[in-house]
Amino acid sequence: MTPRHLAALVLLVAGVAVLVLTALALVVLPAPYLRLHALSCATSLGAPLVVLALAVETGPGRAAAKLLVIGALLAAGGTVTTMAIGRATVLLEEAQPKESGH
Amino acid sequence: MNAWLLAGVVLSGAGLAPCMWVSARGAPHLRLVGVNLAGTLVAVAFLVLAQGFGRSSYQDLALVLGVLAPAGTLVFTRFLAGDPHRPGPSGTPEPE
Repeated sequence: MTPRHLAALVLLVAGVAVLVLTALALVVLPAPYLRLHALSCATSLGAPLVVLALAVETGPGRAAAKLLVIGALLAAGGTVTTMAIGRATVLLEEAQPKESGH
Repeated sequence: MNAWLLAGVVLSGAGLAPCMWVSARGAPHLRLVGVNLAGTLVAVAFLVLAQGFGRSSYQDLALVLGVLAPAGTLVFTRFLAGDPHRPGPSGTPEPE
């Protein structure tokens, strides 16, 4: 096992652990606002860690650059959608505070 | 079976199940959180499965999903919460 493969495995395990924890946090955290923390952790930490693991495993080159672009897309898209969902939640919770008491 | 395929199995099982659970219950804007996280998890699963199968061309699926999943979520928020340039329901107090 080369040091590079070992580094990739460590990053992969860390990334998958973060993603699974955020999925479990989605169920555990009370709605509607605390759940949004799970979203941002997944896209700003979990996905980039896995993408880094893949890039390390692939080695320097065009393929690694493509992976890093995908990781950046996931991170940027996740940030934007978390804010958009937060805004929609604020507007809808104010509009119907009594019905959605979860 | 290698580490990448194992990661794909873990993400698909332990990751997607809670997302499906949250997506199936509650008000629409509460479900949207589950759908959004599911999009992220599936994109990452595509990446690790592509590596596990040794077919880098499968990464394009993650690239397309990385672009379309956020767009889809933004469309959902637009339909759920209305026009961002108009004050939301709380903007103008309803007459009692």
